[in-house]
Amino acid sequence: MTLYRLNHATAYDYAEPVVIGTHFMHLLPRSRPGQIIREARLEISPLPDNRRDEIDHFGNFTTSVSLTGAHKQFNVTLSATIEVEQPLPPAHTPRWEAIAAWALHEVEVAEFCLPSDLARPVGEIADYAAVSFRPGRDMLEAVLELNQRIFNEMTYKPGVTNNFTTALQILRTRTGVCQDYAHFMLACLRALGLPGRYVSGYLRTLPPPGQEKRRGADQSHAWIGVWLGPEIGWVDFDPTNNLLVSNEHVTLAWGRDFNDVSPLRGVILGGGRHSLSVGVDLEPVLT
Amino acid sequence: MQILSPYDETLDRQGRLKSPWSPVLSAVREMGMIELERRCAALGRQVGLAAPALLPAARPYDPLPALLTASEFAWLEEAVSQRAELLSQVMEDLYGPQSLMRLGRLPPALVLADPFFLRALHTGGPLPAPRLGLYAADVIRGTDGRFKLLRDHTGTIPGLGHALTLRRLANGVLPELFRAGALRSLRPAREILVDQLQRRAEGGLVAVLSGGAAAPGLPNGDDALLARALGVLMIEPADLATRNGALHMKTLSGLLHVATLVRGLSGIDLDPLEQGGRPGAGIPGAFGAVRAGVLNMLNAPGSKLLESQVLHPYLQELFEPLLGAPHKMQQAEPEDVALASQAPFLAPDGVLTKAPLCFRIFSWHDGLQWQVLPGGLGLAMDAQAGLGLKDLWVFDGEESRMISGAPPAEPPEKVKFLAAAHLPSRLADNLFWLGRSVERLEAAARLLMLALPRLESGTSLPRDMAERGLISRCLGQAGLLPADVAGSALSGRLLRQTLARRRPLAGLVKEVARLVDASSERLSPSMLATVRLALQQANEALPNEEAALPVMLNFAASFAGIAAENMSRDGGWLFLEMGRRLERAETMAETLAILLDGPIPRLEPGLALGIELADSVLSYELRHAGIIAPGPVLAMLLADGSNPRALAFQCNALRACLERLGADDDAETARLLQHELADLAGGGAALSATLSAMAAKLRTLSDRVQRRFFTLLPAAHTLEDEEILEAAQ
Repeated sequence: MTLYRLNHATAYDYAEPVVIGTHFMHLLPRSRPGQIIREARLEISPLPDNRRDEIDHFGNFTTSVSLTGAHKQFNVTLSATIEVEQPLPPAHTPRWEAIAAWALHEVEVAEFCLPSDLARPVGEIADYAAVSFRPGRDMLEAVLELNQRIFNEMTYKPGVTNNFTTALQILRTRTGVCQDYAHFMLACLRALGLPGRYVSGYLRTLPPPGQEKRRGADQSHAWIGVWLGPEIGWVDFDPTNNLLVSNEHVTLAWGRDFNDVSPLRGVILGGGRHSLSVGVDLEPVLT
Repeated sequence: MQILSPYDETLDRQGRLKSPWSPVLSAVREMGMIELERRCAALGRQVGLAAPALLPAARPYDPLPALLTASEFAWLEEAVSQRAELLSQVMEDLYGPQSLMRLGRLPPALVLADPFFLRALHTGGPLPAPRLGLYAADVIRGTDGRFKLLRDHTGTIPGLGHALTLRRLANGVLPELFRAGALRSLRPAREILVDQLQRRAEGGLVAVLSGGAAAPGLPNGDDALLARALGVLMIEPADLATRNGALHMKTLSGLLHVATLVRGLSGIDLDPLEQGGRPGAGIPGAFGAVRAGVLNMLNAPGSKLLESQVLHPYLQELFEPLLGAPHKMQQAEPEDVALASQAPFLAPDGVLTKAPLCFRIFSWHDGLQWQVLPGGLGLAMDAQAGLGLKDLWVFDGEESRMISGAPPAEPPEKVKFLAAAHLPSRLADNLFWLGRSVERLEAAARLLMLALPRLESGTSLPRDMAERGLISRCLGQAGLLPADVAGSALSGRLLRQTLARRRPLAGLVKEVARLVDASSERLSPSMLATVRLALQQANEALPNEEAALPVMLNFAASFAGIAAENMSRDGGWLFLEMGRRLERAETMAETLAILLDGPIPRLEPGLALGIELADSVLSYELRHAGIIAPGPVLAMLLADGSNPRALAFQCNALRACLERLGADDDAETARLLQHELADLAGGGAALSATLSAMAAKLRTLSDRVQRRFFTLLPAAHTLEDEEILEAAQ
């Protein structure tokens, strides 16, 4: 078990006062098997006139706020204490074909087999995926291989993709950041009718002793979850770091792709140009 | 083998004319086909007047009704309510606990793959109001005469506006047909719906949220008709703003809470805050307001999901488990659709023809149960056949009980008075600019009428040269000539050619037409008809702009006359008037600043042009025997409060409008301008400079009026979360 202290601060500075701001956020971490939220607070300044904390379709926490006083700064700070203990999946899992057949009939799983805007499978993606998913192969084994291949064959490079970049574009360029790795791997799975979900969250800032620093630490991170059948349930994979997710990751939210869990959306009136700073800190306090 | 043929709506099993049809068809025979066609066109015009925002299609309405007997309707009433109740329960489950999918009664993959399943509205439980409040069923009759369900309408409900309106209009146009017998009145049902909407809104505003384009198979304007029939406003996303998590309409008196929206707009892309997309295209925060129960939408976003054809077979299996009774109405099979019942239509070539008919039946939940409108619409199955939309009649009694006598006239509509304060800012804005643009067109036409002959025939005498110089500066100021051309010493002929090439009037007429359409819901039907006719004449004259000038003046005069005589002096008129007065005052001040530029003794050509431009030649002649002298001319053009083309008159009119709108500080500005004009006419120095300064003050006043009444808010924009990612990665 690892106990983490998480801090995630987002600050907008506007050149002109914002008269009215309305924001919709996925910034409070959810519980899941293997993750317990001991305490979580989302502080917003200036103090909103109206705040609604809700649970969305996927079971994520959402926060909607509206600010009607003129303001030149907008700050959102998440601080949380989270307990993580991910069990390792069993060595042997069902054949991948069996999982595809089950998944479509499970309410909580079916939609993750279906295309979504940013992770839409096409023929070429299916061909790429099929290399790892030979008929009758053990599901876990195949997913780990796919995870490895994507890690090996893609180039990690910030600044060349954006929030509208699709899996198909990644197939062509093989370049991007964690979000792109995740969307591409999801499209591979969905091309075979397999259920995969997009997970947003955080990676511990400093690696465990003796290991090299991970990509995507100090930041919002993204990886994927794969359903391994009704017995085992969901297991997470991090293609950006070629990891089977264990106790280094803290889950914030999940959905079909980034669009379902965008951390902060807003419609503002006024404001002019603005600058943004984000700071993430995930430290183990007890291991 | 029996060969099946379509059921005939007009004949019974023995091939005899069914009793309700015989008076209808004999009335048609007496009237004759030519007269019937005329009546049909008249009906189209009537509806066009009732829903003026949109131009009528070729032949949108069929004069012959679709008929249902009391027993047929009673059967449909039960079947449609049963269907509505089932769909409502399924909807609450799919957006609530989702037990139907868990139990395998609905395949998760079909529901979750549907683009109309809006995850943002999946709240796990019920909303304060049912998600399905309105429902319509499209029904056909099979070969055996039984009704079969063709499709459901659970998202937006196309045609409800027409269904509530056609009868009233047809009654006036085709009274002979209504002798057929006593019809079930739509009025009680409509009143239940109106009461229900108002009661649920608890004092908040109820409005129809317009979807813009028409639904397939329906003429335009259904949203507008619905808003009128319900006595509520029709609004657009841009009229709405979210504050403190609730929805408000921007009006002249500030933000008003909107409690209920009858949704004519798709739920897809309705909320840019949660779904992304342009903030202007939807209502940011609408989903949150619906989930929190501070906004009720009929129907809730995401309700179109139940229209999905792939879910239909599964829905039929749910009647027993959910309602404890088998389904009353069968689903139409392809062979039923191919052999749908035939009803008489007036064909585009003016003869009666028989064509397959679909009945659209409307229903709403009154808080306890489903109410079914004893009426509806009849639609031709083939949307391409050029056949019109029918009113659906339900007879009050059996076929045999024929009632003759006076047609069952419906009492006049009870429409709630909408105070000027509730005028949406958008409409006030449009009317203001309509006033300005009509005046701009008139001023351009006047200036060109004055200018063209002089440009052509002017001599090289110093007076003519001076006059030409002044005119060309005025043309430049009015934007009719480019500044560099206006300031050059080009010959009159070249100036004329430039004008002919630029065709300035065409652009002005187009802008007027756009604003007439945008403001149409606040112009009376007759006013709109007259204005559109005049606009059409103006457009026809446009190819030759020079010859079109008198037509433009004619248009402006019709517009002004009809606004003066046909519009009540409420909020809408005040903005039209302010727009017109501000435009005229600004143009006059700018033009006179050019014409009166120079020392008093050399002002004669400018003074003469000024009088002519202000259409005051005759009055001047009568008063001053035609001798142009600065004193009397200035008095007449600047300070004469009784001359509708004097600057002081415009300022006085503006002051009156602003006072009525409670804008006292701006009214004071207009009053001070009036004083200044009196001083100026008394022979103040620096005429031209003072007039230029006055034009600037008027522009400032115009900006203030706009800020005060229209731009409650700057335009919204999206905070891209893109940047978060870039910064993060």
